[in-house]
Amino acid sequence: MNDTVLNCDYIRQKKILLVDDETEILKMIVNFLKEDGYTQIHTAKTAAEAAAAVADWEPDIAVLDVMLPDGNGFELFEQIRRTRNMPVLFLTARGEDEDRIRGLGLGADDYMVKPFLDRELLLRIGNILRRYYKEEDPLVLLAGSRIDFSRAEVIKGGEHLPLTAKEYEILKALWKNAGRIVTIDQLCEAAWGDNPFGYENSLMAHIRRIREKIEENPSRPVSLITVKGLGYRLMVEGR
Amino acid sequence: MRSIAKLIRRCMGILLISTVLVFALNIILFLIVAVGQVPGDGPWTVAEKTAAALKETESGWTFSEEMEEELEKQGIWAMYIDDYTLQVKWHTEELPEGVPMEYTATDISNFTRGYLAGSPVFTAEAQDGKGLVAVGFPEGRYWKHMRPAWDYDLIKNSPYIVLGAVGANLLLVFLIYVIANTKLLRSVRPLVEGIQALPSGMGEHIKEKGLLSDLAKKINQASEILRAQKAELRKRESARANWISGVSHDIRTPLSMVMGYAGQMEGDMSLSEENRRKATVIRQQSLKIKNLVNDLNLASKLEYHMQPLHMEKVSLVAVARQCAADFINADVDGRYTLEWNGPETESVPLVSGDKDLLVRAVTNLLNNVQSHNPDGCRVCVEVCGREEGYAVAVEDDGIGIREEELEKLKSIPHYMMSDGGTEEPRHGLGLLIVQQIAAVHGGEVAFKAVSPHGLRVEILFKRSESEKM
Repeated sequence: MNDTVLNCDYIRQKKILLVDDETEILKMIVNFLKEDGYTQIHTAKTAAEAAAAVADWEPDIAVLDVMLPDGNGFELFEQIRRTRNMPVLFLTARGEDEDRIRGLGLGADDYMVKPFLDRELLLRIGNILRRYYKEEDPLVLLAGSRIDFSRAEVIKGGEHLPLTAKEYEILKALWKNAGRIVTIDQLCEAAWGDNPFGYENSLMAHIRRIREKIEENPSRPVSLITVKGLGYRLMVEGR
Repeated sequence: MRSIAKLIRRCMGILLISTVLVFALNIILFLIVAVGQVPGDGPWTVAEKTAAALKETESGWTFSEEMEEELEKQGIWAMYIDDYTLQVKWHTEELPEGVPMEYTATDISNFTRGYLAGSPVFTAEAQDGKGLVAVGFPEGRYWKHMRPAWDYDLIKNSPYIVLGAVGANLLLVFLIYVIANTKLLRSVRPLVEGIQALPSGMGEHIKEKGLLSDLAKKINQASEILRAQKAELRKRESARANWISGVSHDIRTPLSMVMGYAGQMEGDMSLSEENRRKATVIRQQSLKIKNLVNDLNLASKLEYHMQPLHMEKVSLVAVARQCAADFINADVDGRYTLEWNGPETESVPLVSGDKDLLVRAVTNLLNNVQSHNPDGCRVCVEVCGREEGYAVAVEDDGIGIREEELEKLKSIPHYMMSDGGTEEPRHGLGLLIVQQIAAVHGGEVAFKAVSPHGLRVEILFKRSESEKM
């Protein structure tokens, strides 16, 4: 499971609340989390137990099932959000689009449908924690530089190079999917929002400037790789 | 309302033809009666002939025997009244009782216009020009009516008056017809509309009033039956889709544990390699069940139109690109070589579509390549312009498909949609879903064998859809 660990041991210290009415599922997820290095885990089998745990134990993230014996997860979510601002991931057997849209529409940070792969769940929990507690985020190590997202800058050879807003969004999108291809369209959407069409040339200009900041030799990139026609891939050290 | 216009045209035709026929019938009847009316000469002619047959000679009055016989046969009497003396100077043998022998101008005027001693009398000028010949017919032989007189202009203009009268009559008949028919049409229209709405099953209740209320009642009954059947069918379909949805929901939690623990055992270095390999197989097969459950649910919802569509403007290039990138990202072993052959995003117009479904369709095609070519092959993802619109194509150089299998794929419905036997080898739901997704976007799916080996599948989005921007 080491491949999911990325200079971010701090997230392993976070308190995770698991809510599901199935004891076996709870046991299994606790097992996964423990193996992945998480130590502070609390489980609840009902909405009432979960609400009490939120108040007393103050978790940093909650993984909620939607169907609970004494209520549903969506209501529980709204109740939690009223008292505590923390990320929530829905993990449920309800896979209909409407449910997914409802969950995400309420403001949940992610929505996973059972059955799930252990690694996928761990990756998603890790991503959410890293995103949510980014001020505690350490630097991202690249081949020739480091990225400090909390200060929006790149540190190369002792020099601090500030990132523009667009460069920041593009790098962030690449980093969230480090090692994987992120398509041109996804990057445009990250940088220019809802109507991301017609920005391909601008994107290329931004990529060039990002390379000047992060690569030792921008004309022969090793960290920000082009996948012709499709998109780009950010190679992170230690991943 | 084309049919109502047709109805009016037909009725107008019938009206015109019947008018002409009635007119012709009347003329024929008149002719028949008139011919029967005149067996011999008219009364005025008889009077003229009598006058011509009577002559005064030196030896007295002579009257032709022929004419005498004729008068006798018909029971007609005749007399000659002298212009100067106003006395009867000659007459046939037997005059009816009460016929005077002397007249005044008033008497002559009266009987010329009417009757004398009950006999209808007709007159003619005598041949010698000095008297008047009067003939009297048996009582009841003619009905005289000499009093009416007409204005000269009336007679002069009579052709126009007759034409005008005929025209006015026709107009009146037409008006009566139109009013009567409008009423009929008004009661027919809701029925016509009701019948026309029947096939859609959306027929509204027709008022059961008026001339055709029985018919309206029957149409309402038929409409009610159709509606009930449709609702029943819809209910059954949604029950089936809900059942599938429920089963797939219930299967997810237990499957989570199978998959989760198998995944964990896979990475457990304390287990033997053989056992870890078994765990891998369990995880892979669970993944297949998971995909099957998801596919089954989506396929049934698409089939029964229960899948809500979130239509938005979507770039086909972006969709294809995302699927291609996901495919490469998931291909950890690098068994497949993916070739991207798409234009720039802007060069293909946006289509109206459900992005998640479109991604699902292209992903299914790529998964299909993977499941048929587990040892890897070259895959090409393409977005290209076609005459009818734009196509997203996935082509591989893998094992391909035999000609007869290709034919079956094109012609035989999927087992899920078929009520026939299940003798045919079963395919997964992947391609069925691709076809369903293409269908809800008004598109088509085409399969083509690639030489020397491999398969090309194209999802074609027709231009009319592409242009709905």
